Amino acid sequence: MRERRLPAGDDPLPSLSWQPVAGAPQASIYPLIRKIDIISSNSYLIATPDVILVIDPGGLSEQGALLSRVITDCREEDDRPVFVFLTHSHVDHFLGVQAHPSFASPETVVFAVHEEGARALENGDRTITQADLLGQPFSPITIGLHLFTGERADMPGIPGSLCFSNGATITIMSDQAPQGLPHERIQFGTGPALDLYHTPGHSPDSICLAIGNLLFCGDLLFAANPGLAGVTGWSQEALIHSLSSLEHLIATRGITLVCPGHGRIITAKDAIRMFSQVRTEALTLSDIAELNRERAAATAEFAEDCMEQVNELFTIMAGRLAYVTYILDELGEAGMAEEASALISGDTIDELLEAFRDFSREYQQKSSSPVPLMLKAAQVMGKLERTFQQKELAGIIDPTMVRRAARLLADYITMLRGFTLPCEQADYDLVPVIEAIITGLSVPPLSDEEILSGPDDEGDFPRILLSRIGTRPLLEEMECGIVAKTPSVRALIDPGHFTDLVTYILEDLVGTGAGRIAVRTEQGASAAKVTITGDLPGSPQERRTWQFLRGLAERAGGTLVIRENEGLQSFEFTARVP
Amino acid sequence: MEITTSFREGGTVLSVNGRIDTTAAPELEQAIIHEIDKGTRKILLDFSSVPYISSGGLRVLLATAKKLKNPGDKFGLCSLSPEVLKIMKLAGFTSIFSIYQNEGEALASW
Repeated sequence: MRERRLPAGDDPLPSLSWQPVAGAPQASIYPLIRKIDIISSNSYLIATPDVILVIDPGGLSEQGALLSRVITDCREEDDRPVFVFLTHSHVDHFLGVQAHPSFASPETVVFAVHEEGARALENGDRTITQADLLGQPFSPITIGLHLFTGERADMPGIPGSLCFSNGATITIMSDQAPQGLPHERIQFGTGPALDLYHTPGHSPDSICLAIGNLLFCGDLLFAANPGLAGVTGWSQEALIHSLSSLEHLIATRGITLVCPGHGRIITAKDAIRMFSQVRTEALTLSDIAELNRERAAATAEFAEDCMEQVNELFTIMAGRLAYVTYILDELGEAGMAEEASALISGDTIDELLEAFRDFSREYQQKSSSPVPLMLKAAQVMGKLERTFQQKELAGIIDPTMVRRAARLLADYITMLRGFTLPCEQADYDLVPVIEAIITGLSVPPLSDEEILSGPDDEGDFPRILLSRIGTRPLLEEMECGIVAKTPSVRALIDPGHFTDLVTYILEDLVGTGAGRIAVRTEQGASAAKVTITGDLPGSPQERRTWQFLRGLAERAGGTLVIRENEGLQSFEFTARVP
Repeated sequence: MEITTSFREGGTVLSVNGRIDTTAAPELEQAIIHEIDKGTRKILLDFSSVPYISSGGLRVLLATAKKLKNPGDKFGLCSLSPEVLKIMKLAGFTSIFSIYQNEGEALASW
């Protein structure tokens, strides 16, 4: 879960200490604020003379143990019934209680959850609760108080009395809040009332709770984040409505602090700004795919493929820039060398790539959920994107390399956010497309003639010099010809991804030591075939790069078969004809 | 990463075993500097057991090339894995120092 521009400053309600609740005399709050992650939420305890409330006990057993101890202390001081409210029924908000018998005793503790979440918890639903997605085991839970039931909604404004196994008697009334949200008010004895608002979007059972001047908003601040938007039960339309209603609620109900499900407590002013940002992002998320375990696994797999290529491309780009700097130093151009080396931070890149590698290794050994890897890849790719200055770099080193690196990062974020990767297939003649790719990889971007006739001014000379040193055409010293059995070979392809695919293959063959490369095109009745063959010493082993290339071939509109035979390595791309 | 040093008639061979990552790159640099400080002017790096090199590792190689560029000096690499060879070639390093198929080929040409 990504931290969303949380403002700096002291915590308005320090974690792990009791303090008064503003606007609710006799109520005090004990926040348990955690560093943001997907394993466990924050927890909040609220004590009044009549009741002890737990809001989201969290996903960790040790968190449940700590809450249990604090509750025991409170009850020893003054025995009261305990109610556990969930802002929604995702496992990271409740799983921590399952290891503690004190939470399983209905004589003491009653769980209160929105009706939809209550059903999911009672039925042990692993999809709605995200137990499947996060790879967590959980046992069904008995929910004593179903919130926002249809029966109460049918009798708005009429308070009803309910008695519970923990000895509590509450008064509960259902109505519609003026801000356009379904609302329930619960009165525990004579103490302050607890207001509940149904705010679906992140999940169908999401609720916000308010007591005094505090609002507890669950995961709504993160509901548009990549890796969370689209989870089973997520709804763009409901989310946008909930967010705009909440902005209005915070502004009109006298809320001063907002307590999120993850991360620090924030002021009402910051919350309104952040809800507005989430709403703006949510508006862009039309037609995203459902984020279930299957898609999360596919995204994590794609993350590993992408990171393998990102690793290679960024190391090569950083190496190329180091090479440019080396040559400039040799030429006595120390100033230019320094400027060039600042365009990409090799150390930062190495650290980020290693952090991902370590994380991935640990993930393979321990994690039962693809989500952490999926999110870690996004974090690393986001940071990588900020470390290199694409435009300036493309003016020095091979621009196709810079473009492919940028496209990889963009493709991954697109997939992570739940969108389909762009694949705009159209009817193309592959022969001129391949010829253009080969030509582009055979000649430097600036010819000798262009350099000699170029401007003499001091501004342009360094640019030309840098480009000349930094760009080494891949096929400059390589014999690479195209053999077209027919003058024209038509196929349905996505030209951008096809160009990347051919470039990656040629780069792989040249890089791994091919002496000669041949490209052959064939037109069949139903399929067109492009075969790229290189002579390579030894028998190449299956590499992760090949898996990436097969995926890229699909995005280009076809399939890829890789063969090795008697020192020749062939990449056969097949696409449909129009 | 482990480095084994062997002395041959043609020069000193540093056989590297392991990934040359952010931790290992400075260790490799120290091992090379140690040899140069002892007066060695011909260094061959045997990368047969190196599956990965980071950009920090590449910078160490360039720094070594700078130190060993006087007449009679030699600096080269041998027995590269396909992954490392690809990085070297595409980063343009093959024009700065020599890459050999194996140790025998390198020392024979020195």
